Amino acid sequence: MLFALLARLGQMVLVMFGISVVAFLIFFATPGADPSARIAGRNASQETLQQVRHDFGLDRPLPVQYALMMKRLFVTRDLTSFVNRGQKVIPTVMNAIPITLSLVCGAAVLWVLGGLVVGVVAGATRGSYVDRGLMMLGLAGISMPVFWLGEVANLVTQSRWHDTWAFSWVPALGYVPLSVDPWGWFKALVIPWTVLATLYVGLYGRVLRASLIEMMQEDFIRTARAKGIGETRVLLHHGLRTSLVAFVTMFGLDFGALVGGGALLTEVVFGLQGVGKLTYDALQTLDLPMILATVIYASFFVVMANFVVDILHAILDPRARDAR
Amino acid sequence: MRPRTTLAALMSGIALAGLAASMPAGGAHAQEGTPGGTMRLLAKAASGTIDPHINYTLQYFQINYMLYDGLVTFRKAGDETGFDVVADLAEELPEPQNDGKTYVFKLREGIRFSDGTDLTPEDVLASFQRIFKVSGPTSGTFYNGIVGADACLESPADCTLDGGVVIDDAANTVTINLTAPDGEFLQKIAIPHAAILPAETPAEDAGTTPVPGTGPYMIESYNPNEQLRMVRNPHFAEWSADAQPAGYPDQIDYDFGLTEEAAVTAIQNGQADWMFDPPPPDRLAEIGSRYASQVSVHPLTAMWYAPMNTNLAPFDDVRVRQAVNYAIDRSAIVKLFGGAALAQPACQILPPGFPSYVPYCPYTAGGTDTWSAPDMEKARALVAESGTAGQEVTIVAEDNTVSRAIGVYLQGVLNELGYKTSVQPISQNIQFTYIQNTNNKVQISISQWFQDYPSPSNFLQVLFGCDSFTPGSDASVNIAGFCDEAIDAKMDEAAALTLTDPEKSAQMWTEVDHAVTDAAPAAVLFTPKRVDFVSKRVQNFTFSPQFYWIMSQSWLQ
Amino acid sequence: MTDTTPPLPEKARAAEGPWATAWRRLKRDRAALAALAVLLVILAACLAAPLYATYVSGTNPFATNLNGTITVDGKSRDVLEASTEGLGLGLTPIGPTWQLGPYMLGADNQGRDVAARLLYGGRNSLFIAGAAAVLCLVVATFVGVVAGFFGGLVDTVLSRILDVLWAFPIFLLAISLSIVLISQPLLIGPFEIRSGSLALPIVIIGVVYIPYVARPIRNHVITLMKSEFVTAAVGLGASPWRILWVDILPNVVTRIIVFVPLMLALNMIIESALSFLSIGVQPPDASWGTIIQDGQGLLYSRPAVALAPGIAIAVTVLALNIFGDGVRDALDPKSTVRIG
Repeated sequence: MLFALLARLGQMVLVMFGISVVAFLIFFATPGADPSARIAGRNASQETLQQVRHDFGLDRPLPVQYALMMKRLFVTRDLTSFVNRGQKVIPTVMNAIPITLSLVCGAAVLWVLGGLVVGVVAGATRGSYVDRGLMMLGLAGISMPVFWLGEVANLVTQSRWHDTWAFSWVPALGYVPLSVDPWGWFKALVIPWTVLATLYVGLYGRVLRASLIEMMQEDFIRTARAKGIGETRVLLHHGLRTSLVAFVTMFGLDFGALVGGGALLTEVVFGLQGVGKLTYDALQTLDLPMILATVIYASFFVVMANFVVDILHAILDPRARDAR
Repeated sequence: MRPRTTLAALMSGIALAGLAASMPAGGAHAQEGTPGGTMRLLAKAASGTIDPHINYTLQYFQINYMLYDGLVTFRKAGDETGFDVVADLAEELPEPQNDGKTYVFKLREGIRFSDGTDLTPEDVLASFQRIFKVSGPTSGTFYNGIVGADACLESPADCTLDGGVVIDDAANTVTINLTAPDGEFLQKIAIPHAAILPAETPAEDAGTTPVPGTGPYMIESYNPNEQLRMVRNPHFAEWSADAQPAGYPDQIDYDFGLTEEAAVTAIQNGQADWMFDPPPPDRLAEIGSRYASQVSVHPLTAMWYAPMNTNLAPFDDVRVRQAVNYAIDRSAIVKLFGGAALAQPACQILPPGFPSYVPYCPYTAGGTDTWSAPDMEKARALVAESGTAGQEVTIVAEDNTVSRAIGVYLQGVLNELGYKTSVQPISQNIQFTYIQNTNNKVQISISQWFQDYPSPSNFLQVLFGCDSFTPGSDASVNIAGFCDEAIDAKMDEAAALTLTDPEKSAQMWTEVDHAVTDAAPAAVLFTPKRVDFVSKRVQNFTFSPQFYWIMSQSWLQ
Repeated sequence: MTDTTPPLPEKARAAEGPWATAWRRLKRDRAALAALAVLLVILAACLAAPLYATYVSGTNPFATNLNGTITVDGKSRDVLEASTEGLGLGLTPIGPTWQLGPYMLGADNQGRDVAARLLYGGRNSLFIAGAAAVLCLVVATFVGVVAGFFGGLVDTVLSRILDVLWAFPIFLLAISLSIVLISQPLLIGPFEIRSGSLALPIVIIGVVYIPYVARPIRNHVITLMKSEFVTAAVGLGASPWRILWVDILPNVVTRIIVFVPLMLALNMIIESALSFLSIGVQPPDASWGTIIQDGQGLLYSRPAVALAPGIAIAVTVLALNIFGDGVRDALDPKSTVRIG
């Protein structure tokens, strides 16, 4: 078991290495990606261009450049941006993390609670109109592009009905740090939370319902029923507890991906300077150091989430362990 | 670091009392405002390093003009006199000596940097050396005429500018020697790239670390993902209201990250005072009517244009390039930019209001001096003559609403002329270097050019001179690859005459402008105007043609 | 315990094959049938786009129409109306007329008919989603089956490649590819991908979701390999190829079919996101994502431009999801394939 764990950890590092190499190579395969001329400025002389290229080490062989960049990213930790020169990449990502965490955690609370309510109610009222209505609403939530829903939310709350009583409390787009103004933090994030959670409430509600229904047909539940335990108690106590394995697995993967910057479009639409927005900006400006930092950061969370979920799965569900 | 911050905060508090007394008195201002308050500016994104010797963006040029001073500067005035060079750290504008190859500047006494040190000739020498040591963007194009600059460009680390910049501590003077007369030299050292910084400023890109300056404000903190904060320079005392007037707000916060839509809303709701980015076209009607009193519109000395690669088919044929010029309906393109109130159709290289500008438009129906309507028949005839119809053309546009829309419009025009055209928008940040490199084989693109300083050469020689064309390089700003020996010789002659016979020189530039326009290496589309939208509390909005809104001269109500 | 054997026919119709059972179940699912009908209507409308553009809107939806005028309620109006109030800044495209005719949903900032572009855009969106789904399912099935069937080192290597792909930011891939292709077209075997061709978004979207499909298939194959009937077949001395063809693949196929509508739905969403970031369909062509992007700049004055394609996406994806649910329930009621 320990060996398997170590092997898996090694593979994880390998995956992250692979991702960083691919990102690096793609960057240099892109015509016009060479940042020298952008760093040197419009109408720079050829001497200046060469000087800049040399200063930034862009005239060295690719493997050397890669090694240097990784060294500055992980060992000396002083890698700086190509675009906003002097901006250290690591503190920038660190500063963006609380914003992304605020967004994702708040949304996660909403979607987990929402998903639980929807799933349990729909599972308990299986086949009724309540069930069908909830499932249809859930599907509708899944079916909307999140950036579009965000735009519509902005249209409604920032412009069309901003002056009415319903939305006059909505602050300007942007982030307010929790430590500065907790109430402002909440007001600034509540709409992004809702928009991001809309997608997942439907998803989680559906998965929970499906697994509840499946569980209710299992033998041990029948036994519990036969013992005369009330239906609600059976549902909440036995069914829910067992179904939560699937729920937690899913949550781990989604949460990891979102914290890693997966909420990119939501952050962009709502002007939140989180890791996703950072990634988006770095891509727009082809800022290689920032791209590498955010890509490695994101892949860490995605790979880590996969790993944790696999382990949990192996512990919780013996069948999965046999399968590998 | 901590004690120092506290000290600085304390000192700025003390200085404030003194400053209030020495606020700009009379003269430049019709009405008086009260100093104080915090101004909140917005921009979608930060604009890179805050090193004044390196940053080459409109966004930071605008603030660098009030953070730093050169030996000379442009007058901080809201009319065309804003294009004039005035003495700044120098006591007066020097007369060129030695046939225009030597300038002697006498420094003002008693000027201190924001870190408290005195300004000395030593700082001036170190600053000029630093331009080369940090490989400043214009070091090889604006300052290469200083004696010793060649060696500095060759090996920046050992730059001395020996014999180029000579200082005399006793007389408090700085002498600058040039290898050849340069009529634009004073303009070139008036831009922030020649700002005077303390001699001990490290000879490397300052990045996000503020560099002390001599202006009324100094940068307190800078985080490109959040904010740039400017506070009063405690050591500033006004020496010339023309060159560097004292400012009104106590603090200026420049916040980054909000979209243009959100910025407009924030200004409307009084949550911010001004936005750097142009307001989105969608909101113009609204701010132009409900908020008309908070809006100012000013024409810029700039152009939107479509450079055509004179070395690639079909645009290697002058008839094709002229045909494109004839065919473009510039009033239609203006509509894509937000309508006639925001842009003016143009068809010659120099923008209106610029030195040597004389209205000229060979590409209009009706044969007038200014553009009125396209001439499709003439365009078709030229294409037929060239026999190039049916060829494939790709338009490389920037990936933003306006540029994309212009691309699609041009596609329609070129298709109508008989070409098989496609549009390719590329990320805004890459497009400008991408279209410059001849390896990318770009046929026609959409780009903009904004002046650095008010001189015809800044458009004509920079964009269409043989020297600015370097095949295979990302820095080859002559995007059209246009190189006409006769025209090039004439440009050199006009530049040489600037000092000795300014009138003749100006007239020659006019002729060059018309000659380049005739050769059509580009289709000039329109002259953009700038829309500034400020909050209700911003008073005394002053717009300089050189550095746009002079934010230090507005006060808050 | 084997919970992964193919769906057993219900006892009452023991003679019926699994496909017939599935079809019978699907026919009973009214929601799925309604969704299918909606999808067919949308498809038909999109296919009729040229007819709409010619006979109803009467304008070319791919050319700018900056100086055009139309007659509404007997009055002639500019398609792009200049503001007359205050400083007279800005131009506003004409809003929805809500009449069957030109500019039913209004114009975009280039004076083009939004309704006509919506129909043309739907064609591209649906085509890209469909082609990407096919590409993705074919490759993913191959990878998943190979990894699961051979196991060992092959499985480890393939799984890690899938990990890399899954954790890789697709927008970086997409932006780079779209720039690389401007200079030289990419050749993959007989296929040539040029910038601006629909192949670009198809390949990107197709590739991105390979891990999403390949992983469950791999896991499914692994479970199948351990199931009683495969063990039995091995015990009887069946060749590996026979096991693959007879025991594994038929079981995998039902899973794949379950994926089809869900992949289509996912692809629609991701296509809109890519186009929103202007990596997908290139101008002047349209897709629902690019129309949202065009409309983003008009959200405050002419929200219809961005709302209409968003609603079109939502309705189509909703229908696909409902139909996908129906297909899954019919084919593989116990599967836990996840949407979204």
